[in-house]
Amino acid sequence: MLQLAPTATAAEPAANGAVSARPQSVVVTLPADCRMAAQAHLLQELLAALDACAIDLDGRAVERVDTAALQLLTLFKREADARGAALNWMGASVALDEAADLLGLAKTLKLPAAVPA
Amino acid sequence: MASVGVAQFHQVFFEESLEGLDAMESSLLALDEGGDSELVNTIFRAAHSIKGGSATFGFPEMAAFTHEAESLLDELRDGRRAIDGAIVELLLRTVDCLRGMFARAQSGQPLNNAEAESLREQMAAALGRQIEPKAPPSRRAGDHADAWRIDFRPHPGMLAGGNDPLRLFRELAALGELRVQPVLDRLPPLAALQPAECHLGWVLELRGQVPPDQISRDQIAAVFDWVEDECELTIAPLHVVADTPVPAVAAVPAGKPPAAAAVHSAESGSVRVSIDKIDGLIDLVGELVITQSMLDQFREEFDVAKLALLQQGLTQLARHTRELQESVMGVRMLPIGSVFNRFPRLVRDLTQKLGKQVKLELVGEQTELDKTVLEKIGDPLVHLVRNAIDHGLEMPDRRRAAGKSDTGALRLEAFHRGGNIVVEVSDDGAGLNREAIVAKALQRGLIASGDQLSDEQVAELIFQPGFSTAAVATDLSGRGVGMDVVRRNVSDLGGAVAIRSRPGHGTVFTITLPLTLAIIDGLTAAVGSEHYIVPLVSIIESVQARPEAVHRVTGGGELFRFRDEYLPVLRLHQLFGCAGAQAVIEEGLLIVVEGDGARAALLVDGLIGQQQAVVKSLEANYRRVGGISGATILADGSVALIVDVAGLIRLQSRSKAA
Repeated sequence: MLQLAPTATAAEPAANGAVSARPQSVVVTLPADCRMAAQAHLLQELLAALDACAIDLDGRAVERVDTAALQLLTLFKREADARGAALNWMGASVALDEAADLLGLAKTLKLPAAVPA
Repeated sequence: MASVGVAQFHQVFFEESLEGLDAMESSLLALDEGGDSELVNTIFRAAHSIKGGSATFGFPEMAAFTHEAESLLDELRDGRRAIDGAIVELLLRTVDCLRGMFARAQSGQPLNNAEAESLREQMAAALGRQIEPKAPPSRRAGDHADAWRIDFRPHPGMLAGGNDPLRLFRELAALGELRVQPVLDRLPPLAALQPAECHLGWVLELRGQVPPDQISRDQIAAVFDWVEDECELTIAPLHVVADTPVPAVAAVPAGKPPAAAAVHSAESGSVRVSIDKIDGLIDLVGELVITQSMLDQFREEFDVAKLALLQQGLTQLARHTRELQESVMGVRMLPIGSVFNRFPRLVRDLTQKLGKQVKLELVGEQTELDKTVLEKIGDPLVHLVRNAIDHGLEMPDRRRAAGKSDTGALRLEAFHRGGNIVVEVSDDGAGLNREAIVAKALQRGLIASGDQLSDEQVAELIFQPGFSTAAVATDLSGRGVGMDVVRRNVSDLGGAVAIRSRPGHGTVFTITLPLTLAIIDGLTAAVGSEHYIVPLVSIIESVQARPEAVHRVTGGGELFRFRDEYLPVLRLHQLFGCAGAQAVIEEGLLIVVEGDGARAALLVDGLIGQQQAVVKSLEANYRRVGGISGATILADGSVALIVDVAGLIRLQSRSKAA
């Protein structure tokens, strides 16, 4: 399992939004309730984030999660890889980690080990 | 398996499943009379939900049982099997058996019994004859293995149906060691994703935790029970274990909820209310709030010029309050159809057993009754319908001899009359057998040989406890438990049973029931400084007694001559011990009342008016008092007692007898 390590991009979130053409770095925070109802909004947010060179995903607040959410993240990860954007996890909650593990998607998502709340 | 979280849904599951069984039954009966294929779909859907539900909620026996029925229904649906009387009969018995299982599940007893086993075998036999050749071989061989490979490809719509693979995998993980490999070959581009659609697939490997620990195919299949229509699923053993029998108990999932947790009282404490009714309530409350704010204006500044407006507002307030009250009461009202629905089946079974031909007609199923009344009216109606078929309606040859059609007519009808609900059970059979009833009454010493009885009096005899004219007590009726119980049950509900019979033309039983038990219409009567409410349903008339109409008889009783009858006078002030009341009959007022077929005249000081009274239980708040059915609160805040007329008459005749 990949260890959570401070990355260069995580250190400069302030640059976020300063450049309009292709932002250097974007942080996407996953909501506490990540289930189906929240996903239409999350999808838009992730699509917008794809323009950035580096994307930081914060999964530390996630309390509720379902298969659809992990499918969404899997697709996002694939899309980001295809565009050459660097995808980094700022951390994942136990709930997110456990669900990804159970669905066999933890490796695909390169999810870090859970940060105990 | 989450046994704690799921148990709270048991009651809802039971209720829904019982409704599903009702739907199955009525559809099966319609099918028996030559219904269309949509009926089979309805039955199938009901069986399918019960199967899925019982697997989810931890009733594997029920799931396995329903599975057989579902397989049969599947063949009917595909047209692989013809619909005939035998299969309908088998499925009807399945419905009965499932009802029994639900009853046992509710009281925490073991679900299976000999009947269930035998039915399941019969269904399997029926299926086996048909499907033996194409039964999948893997289903037979290798039903136990220490490791399984499960290919699971959900259809896109599965997540939207509320079935999440996360839950399924968690259940699988509880069975053994689970390895999950996602299959990502069907994923769409992110921009095209509908988040609710599932494009993932999985290959799972499930191993028993310790090498000899085996998992059965059924255990795995049970996990996927709910979703088997919504995915492609193959379950194959990774290593087949050669013929190692597994004790049957091992097949029960470990997380089965403790049976004792399922103990619930059979009477459900909830009402399902249609959205229309709720919307109506919300509308009314809205109106009420508007009226209230309109009235509020007058509090600020009032001048006499606005008096008309104020009066108008108060009238509106009164109307809305009344409408709101009616609507709230309406929440407790349910259509009587739910009770009527059980009769087609009952009639079908009885007529088959007795070799009679009966056509049942149901009228007024939409008539609404208070839920409490509805729950308790079923048994009396069953008694009446059984009696009508067993005693009332004749065998086809006798009907023909009497110049009637072979098929007897049985009619159940519900309608509103006045403030009451009337339920009538009528048949066109032979009517009451006057001679047999009189002979039986003589034999039992209920009447003397010289008594001249009117038809009504003869009819009244059948309501005596233990009275039956049937020569042989069948298991249908004739055991003499029936009509007295019917009358008692109905009068417990504040209703009455009447009987009308014409020899050769049939019998009509009329049950009159109050609309609701929570509110009664009554007359407020003054007795001394107290107020009593006399229910309007029991009042025949109120009269000012002339001196010559009252007769004193030896032993201290008084009789009032009302038309051609002499009625006992009950002095309420004496019975209830009220001081300062009118003791002279001619100065007071007599209310002629009827209860349980007996009449009496109640002496009160005078009548104050008619009103609706919200009944408060005396038993729940104080204790049971003879002659009083409850209490209510009057407009001025004082308490008035509600007179139980039938109880009062019983009380009086008992004290006289003593």
